[in-house]
Amino acid sequence: MLPLSLLNAAQNKPMLVELKNGETLNGHLVNCDNFMNITLREVYQTSAEGERFWKLKECYVRGSTIKYLRVPDQLLDEVQLEQFHAREMQRGGRGGQRGGRGAPQRATFLGRGGGSGGGGGGRGMGPVRGGRARGRGRGM
Amino acid sequence: MASLNGYINQRVLLILQDGRCIVGTLVGLDNRADIVLSNSVERVYSPDEPVEEVPLGLYLVKGDMILLVGELDTEVDDATDLSQQRAEPLAPIRYGHE
Repeated sequence: MLPLSLLNAAQNKPMLVELKNGETLNGHLVNCDNFMNITLREVYQTSAEGERFWKLKECYVRGSTIKYLRVPDQLLDEVQLEQFHAREMQRGGRGGQRGGRGAPQRATFLGRGGGSGGGGGGRGMGPVRGGRARGRGRGM
Repeated sequence: MASLNGYINQRVLLILQDGRCIVGTLVGLDNRADIVLSNSVERVYSPDEPVEEVPLGLYLVKGDMILLVGELDTEVDDATDLSQQRAEPLAPIRYGHE
């Protein structure tokens, strides 16, 4: 499991962030990105010595300044379950395509291939799509 | 190529740049060596007090803070009575002329 998927799943969850300078931030995660830059809301900031406190409505933390994050224990189960379901869905989807939808899709791919062979990539696609759309229109 | 993948779901010990020593189960990592530990505890050593284990739970450590990741020999670890252990804590890493 990737650390970033855990962090993404931690959105709107409470967390404790310690920065490299020893300050800690307690708040709810609003958003995060691939650099682990994060925004927190309703933050209690504590100085490195733990002597001073600040209350912040919202704050942005650059990922590179973070030492570690503590997140709720239950999040691990949630993410693992989610990933398990995602994998199952993927398997199920692929299986279904192979069985039912797979064949017609392959046929259309072959059709497109023929079209692009004549007119070249982008142009070849156009007429094929148009043709389909017209066909649907008539059908309806 | 060096890889931590073999440590997944094993008990590991991390040593961080600030001298902390953290034990937990490695459940996730990425190519920056950011690490996710579950059921983690910090072991706080002191020269005249027993080792204190501070529960930390689910813990995400940034790769650039990590000095060392070691596979924990659970047999030896379970057989070790931490309340009998005394040790100086590790000093945090220092740079330049601080």
